[in-house]
Amino acid sequence: MHIPDGLMDPMVSAIGWIEFMVVIAVALLISGKKFKEKDLPRIAVLSAGIFVAQMLNFPIGGGTTGHLVGAALFAIMAGPVIAMVGMTVILVIQALMFGDGGITAFGLNATNMAIIAPLTGWGVYTLVKPFLAGLKTETKHGKMNLGTAIAIGVGAWASVFVSASACAAEMAVSYAISGGAYGIAATVSIPAMLGYHVIIAIGEAMITVAVAAYVLSVSPNAFRSISEKNVAVPGLKGIMSSKIAHATVAVLIVFALALPLYFMYSSEGADGLEKTMEDAGVDEGDAVLTSPFEYGETYFAALFAGILGFVATALVGLGLMNIFKIGRAAE
Amino acid sequence: MGRLDARAKIIGVVVFVTVAAMLTVTELIFAALALSVIFAAFSQVPARHLLKAYAGALPFILIASVSVFLFAGIDRGIGMWARTSACVIALLVLASATESLQLFAGLRRLGVPKIISTLLMLTYKYIVLMADELVRMKTARKARGFSGGRSLFDLRGLKIIGYTAGMVFVRASDRAEKGYEGLKMRGFNFDLKTWRQTRLAAADLAFIAWFAVVSGALITFQLGAFA
Repeated sequence: MHIPDGLMDPMVSAIGWIEFMVVIAVALLISGKKFKEKDLPRIAVLSAGIFVAQMLNFPIGGGTTGHLVGAALFAIMAGPVIAMVGMTVILVIQALMFGDGGITAFGLNATNMAIIAPLTGWGVYTLVKPFLAGLKTETKHGKMNLGTAIAIGVGAWASVFVSASACAAEMAVSYAISGGAYGIAATVSIPAMLGYHVIIAIGEAMITVAVAAYVLSVSPNAFRSISEKNVAVPGLKGIMSSKIAHATVAVLIVFALALPLYFMYSSEGADGLEKTMEDAGVDEGDAVLTSPFEYGETYFAALFAGILGFVATALVGLGLMNIFKIGRAAE
Repeated sequence: MGRLDARAKIIGVVVFVTVAAMLTVTELIFAALALSVIFAAFSQVPARHLLKAYAGALPFILIASVSVFLFAGIDRGIGMWARTSACVIALLVLASATESLQLFAGLRRLGVPKIISTLLMLTYKYIVLMADELVRMKTARKARGFSGGRSLFDLRGLKIIGYTAGMVFVRASDRAEKGYEGLKMRGFNFDLKTWRQTRLAAADLAFIAWFAVVSGALITFQLGAFA
């Protein structure tokens, strides 16, 4: 998934750099307050561990192999902010010491693998885990129950699949806006990247669960985010400091990062249904009920609409969880 | 090239790669590729090492080039191969001709935040340790008859691979504390400093100037200033 220099349209590369710089600057600001000097060796060990784990190939079948990305594992073990900084360090070493991934493409590689992958992995894991809190069946490894194992697996799968999708979309956008001078056509990049990574992501999920189970049983302190308990704080402050709220923000950041590409690639043309209606000469009638909101035609309007939609969905989900008492058992 | 200041090498190569990545005129792309090959030839980095490293990046380059060739024609396909190769070769020369600590110290002196540069140094140190550990564990695994699993359905194989990775983490984290104590004993204070603070010499400035002139010429022609 490491994009080399010269493959992407300069505009797409520039957007990647801007997105990466903004997010990592915020992450460094947060982590700068959190980190103590003695934390550095631990973060370095985790980064090195992920780097080395990426050298372990796993079999896919038919003689092909894949390798771990490890962003979800990192984020679940150490938290998303440390994972973003650590994954950035891994990518810098890969680019500068091994020539793996380019310099102009570094912003995109870092956005995909150091920001989108850990945020998605951790966000999905945190959001899914309460729904599976009822699965208390102990795995063979004692310290990890089935619900946690499934949540880790789903988070790891999503992190690889979403970051690979972002990479495929970047290549498709590069191709489209450059008239074929850069990137890879969507008809090739999207099925190839998604088809391959949907399977790679299964291996990632299984190995992440195995690593997590092993580390949790041998050295439970290594998993800060799993061993941490949510401390109930009443009111708005409690909601804002809850892991669910942080995971919601993580998923929203991924959405916000994807939007510029959407605007570069989106077509003014009619969608499938509109085109069929147009061809059949059917006019769209007046709506019975109209919404005061629109999806928006500018970046910030669409971002606002997305946040609104996501928060509304999250609130409905939280309400349902509250009604059916899901997640309380975990606390 | 090994004697040059790391900052000069980073600046020169970054400028060249940035410009080469923006080229779309076929003749200029090949000029960039030729310059990259000349740079590699003068770098004193063994050709075999460079070719081996280039082979690692080749699959991604080829997928992109073949895709562009199929959808946009042979000229653009070849252009894609040449452009990505020019950038990759220059980057591989920088990676191969610069000692790791010098490279990280160079980045720090160019303004990379100290938390990143210090983490780079520590992470690289632990990667070497952990990679050795992994090789030993793989050998032990092989001696016990495990050869890497068969497919994604081979759950036992995947479990063993997962446990191997987990074991690397656990063993290395034990060393991390001791490593940190060792660093403190040697006066480590959260920032990466090299023993000698070199200044940019005439050779370094000439190196940067050469890349600046070459890159400037390429981008000028690309923008059609002389058309």
